[in-house]
Amino acid sequence: MRFENYNPITIFIYFLIVFLITMFTVNPILLIISLIGGILFFISNNGIMRFLKDLAFYLPLFVLIAVTNPLFSHNGATPLFFMNGNAITYEAIIYGIFISVMIISVMYWCKCFGIIFTIDKILYLVGKISSKLAIVISMTVRFIPLIKSQSKKVSKVQKTMGLYTGNSYADRLKGSIRVFSSVLTWGLENGINVSDSMLSRGYGLKNRTSWSPFKITVSDIVLILISILLGITTLYGIYSKSLEFNFYPYITEVPTFLMSYISYSVFGLLCIIPFVIEIKEIVKWKYFLSKI
Amino acid sequence: MKKDLLILGFIVLIIVIIVNGTEFQTVDEYYLTHIDDIREDSQTVFISINCSEIYANWDMLDDNIKNSGYLPKDGVILDKTEYVLREGDTVFDVLNRAVRYNKIQMEYQGADMNIYNSVYIQGINYLYEFDCGELSGWLYKVNGEFPKYGCSSYVLKDGDIIEWIYTCELGQEYNLF
Amino acid sequence: MEIFSVKNLSFTYPLCSNKAIDNINFSINSSEFILICGQSGCGKTTLLKLLKKELTPKGEISGSIFYKNQTLSELDNRTSAEQIGFVMQNPESQVVMHKVSYELAFGAENIGLPKDVICRRMAEMVNFFGLNDIFDSEISSLSGGQKQLVNLASIMIMHPNVIILDEPTSQLDPIASKDFISVLRRINAELGITIIIVEHNLEDVMPISDKVIVIDNGKVIANDTPRNICAALKNINENHPMLKALPTPTKIYASLNNNKDILCPITVKEGKDFLEKNYKSDIKELPINKPSHSNNIAVELSNIWYRYERNSKDILKDVNLKVYKGEVFSLLGGNGAGKTTLMSVISGINKAYRGKILINGKKIKDYKKNSLYLHNIAYLPQSLQTVFIEDNVRKDFDEVCKLMKYDKDAKEKIILSVSEKLGITHLLDKNPYDLSGGEQQKCAIAKMLLLQPKILLMDEPSKAMDSFAKESLSEIIKMLKSDDEMTIIIVTHDIDFACECSDRVGLFFDGNIVSYNTPNKFFTENTFYTTSANRMARNIYPSAVKCSDIIKLCQRNGLINE
Repeated sequence: MRFENYNPITIFIYFLIVFLITMFTVNPILLIISLIGGILFFISNNGIMRFLKDLAFYLPLFVLIAVTNPLFSHNGATPLFFMNGNAITYEAIIYGIFISVMIISVMYWCKCFGIIFTIDKILYLVGKISSKLAIVISMTVRFIPLIKSQSKKVSKVQKTMGLYTGNSYADRLKGSIRVFSSVLTWGLENGINVSDSMLSRGYGLKNRTSWSPFKITVSDIVLILISILLGITTLYGIYSKSLEFNFYPYITEVPTFLMSYISYSVFGLLCIIPFVIEIKEIVKWKYFLSKI
Repeated sequence: MKKDLLILGFIVLIIVIIVNGTEFQTVDEYYLTHIDDIREDSQTVFISINCSEIYANWDMLDDNIKNSGYLPKDGVILDKTEYVLREGDTVFDVLNRAVRYNKIQMEYQGADMNIYNSVYIQGINYLYEFDCGELSGWLYKVNGEFPKYGCSSYVLKDGDIIEWIYTCELGQEYNLF
Repeated sequence: MEIFSVKNLSFTYPLCSNKAIDNINFSINSSEFILICGQSGCGKTTLLKLLKKELTPKGEISGSIFYKNQTLSELDNRTSAEQIGFVMQNPESQVVMHKVSYELAFGAENIGLPKDVICRRMAEMVNFFGLNDIFDSEISSLSGGQKQLVNLASIMIMHPNVIILDEPTSQLDPIASKDFISVLRRINAELGITIIIVEHNLEDVMPISDKVIVIDNGKVIANDTPRNICAALKNINENHPMLKALPTPTKIYASLNNNKDILCPITVKEGKDFLEKNYKSDIKELPINKPSHSNNIAVELSNIWYRYERNSKDILKDVNLKVYKGEVFSLLGGNGAGKTTLMSVISGINKAYRGKILINGKKIKDYKKNSLYLHNIAYLPQSLQTVFIEDNVRKDFDEVCKLMKYDKDAKEKIILSVSEKLGITHLLDKNPYDLSGGEQQKCAIAKMLLLQPKILLMDEPSKAMDSFAKESLSEIIKMLKSDDEMTIIIVTHDIDFACECSDRVGLFFDGNIVSYNTPNKFFTENTFYTTSANRMARNIYPSAVKCSDIIKLCQRNGLINE
């Protein structure tokens, strides 16, 4: 089973825990672990080539964020030089670097989340809360391409009648307003049909059930339990101050209590779960193939 | 799209640097401040910086600061000291000279960066606003009164006594309101 | 068992003086396949909506409708949703959810089936309808035919007793529409589900119907088996307009004034038998009129290549075409062959990446700004709603007149003359959305004519048109050709329509025009891809391609045993 094949609830809980911890800690070790986990997951989803290509974006972004912080924050015990009477400090630079690590690791996790968490999964989760809202989302998703293609059609046809072909902005704007109003009318007309179709299939009856292509399996429960256990352990580490780390006014030492080591390894395990699941799947598949 | 955002970010950064001006100083240059010697005929003011209020609100204080080791035991960051008053000096000018001379860290927001059109002091000696609860920050008194305007707008006269104090309750403990 | 029984039913829309339904009586037994037909505006859609409780329009109802001996309006909502299914005309706009699987589940969820039951029924539906490949697809990626099948399946999943369909195939191409009808036949024959269908293309539906109900002006004028319906209509009026809407073999039979002993043919097979058994074949063909057009070339395409994107495959491959001035040229071909793309290239919407297009002898590139579309080329698209932007037809016309820079008098004059020509003067102040398909099309053509085109491109003009609208369309085409010397290029699926109105016909296949000729020669040479009239008569009159040809030949040859 690939990670994306788990139940949406499982996937959601997992991501929620990782996001929470990553966004609420400044401990550099945890941040680096989260970044590595996010990158590994990204690679197992999109391949190493895509990752290398994307570096062209992420590396400059990393520098940008890292440089920005010391320009605006002048706290810190070790000024390197002064700019316009404000100190550029060693601490602010290091802090900038780790904010950068945090933001970029959150971005990687978000990317993975975006790929895995398809509209169906969102519907499933939303449907647990309100089935009406889920239907509205589904209808919207269906309606967007319809509207798009209709407005394309209308503007083409209007063009072949020689209307609104001028190059001036005013003319083009007028043209698009016309197209928009026509598409709107068409959309309303369409909406009447949709509501007829919903009514005739009994929408609005009591005791509506809900179907979805997802099931909760034993492995979902196992994964949820593992995620929560690992997550809570790490959060306890943060709560108990054994992961305490400060950048200002001077950078403290990385904590090295027993609980800190436990937290690091536990969070490391948590972040690497999706990668391990994906790799296991690849290896398994290769093994099966060689048997076939 | 992504690349455009990135380039935009760098451009904004460069603009900010240029607008802010680019006067670089080394640490030694910065702290090398000329303090006029007090002569018979020179006008003078007194300045003190005090954060003893945090000891009354110790629980609210950020752990970070507690352990930093930068807090003076009695809360006195700068004892009442006399400095020469130059023509047109504001409270901020005197403070700036005093902290530089004594190599005390200070961070401020320039007059063009806020809505008050006056310099705003964010932190002195690593003690920042909001470090001791949501209502904490730096305030100043001149001759025992809280002026109604910012420190770079207050022009001093001979013999004024400036007190910088750290409040934890928006100045209420000093009966500001 | 009687499933529906309608007694003295009348219905009047609010603010209308005429009754939309006028004292109708009929009954439908369970497992019957009922075909309801009539001219557009006769009240058939209103009747269908009255049979489905949830869709009953606002208005004044008298008389009664019984569903399984129970008054329909007192039927409880759940039973109504579950047992009476309704499929609408437009495959696109009745889909609710974004994916096939969710759409199938939608109705079943509404009536509160448990999840495992839904899963099982879904599996059954997917297998019955052959939806395996598209089960997990987004609705927007499906073809019209597939969408309509999904609509049907999403009703079938509720296990209905009756399915009511309102012109379900009118928006589909002929192949998809035949597929859809054959699925309906299976549902009826294999599962015994009652089918009530309104259709205007009777060719495929009538042979499988048990009963045909013909409605005219809100009244049932005939209610009989398909075989007897012809006689029933003739009883009312020897030249009843509905006779023209019947399938080709029946239509030919009806025009020949046979004695009553000869069985009325419904299918091509029966029609073939009917002709061979009853008519002599001494005269094999009719004198053919030479198609009339000038030798000036209106549209010339040489070596046209086109693809939508850099890396996609070629849609048009080395297309060469000459269309003469004053000629009606029809391009036939299956779905996705690239016919519509060819139209868009000729009309200048898309630009060919190789090759040359001459419009009236001038390169298409040399037409600057909108000069290509004024006094020159007009393009009638498939979806007519895209033509109208304003909320009444006259305003839309005004827009074009402004563009053409007519002064006030000239404007009034041209609008009047065009509307009279097309017979739409009474529609000018109506909202385009309130018009029937045929009326909409006439108004759209009128809007094109205001641009005073020399060349008219039509994309699937006969789609969703009933036989009357088609007939008037082909009249209009002939009129434009003879009165205005207009060059008309049509792309269509509709073989019979193309045969009826064109001077030349071409077959588009795999990005190219593989053959073209006059309709007579073109269809005679083809064996499958030909009109049903030709398929029916090809053994005895090989070159007869139109109904009217066969009727004339039969009349000249005479009956065998006379």
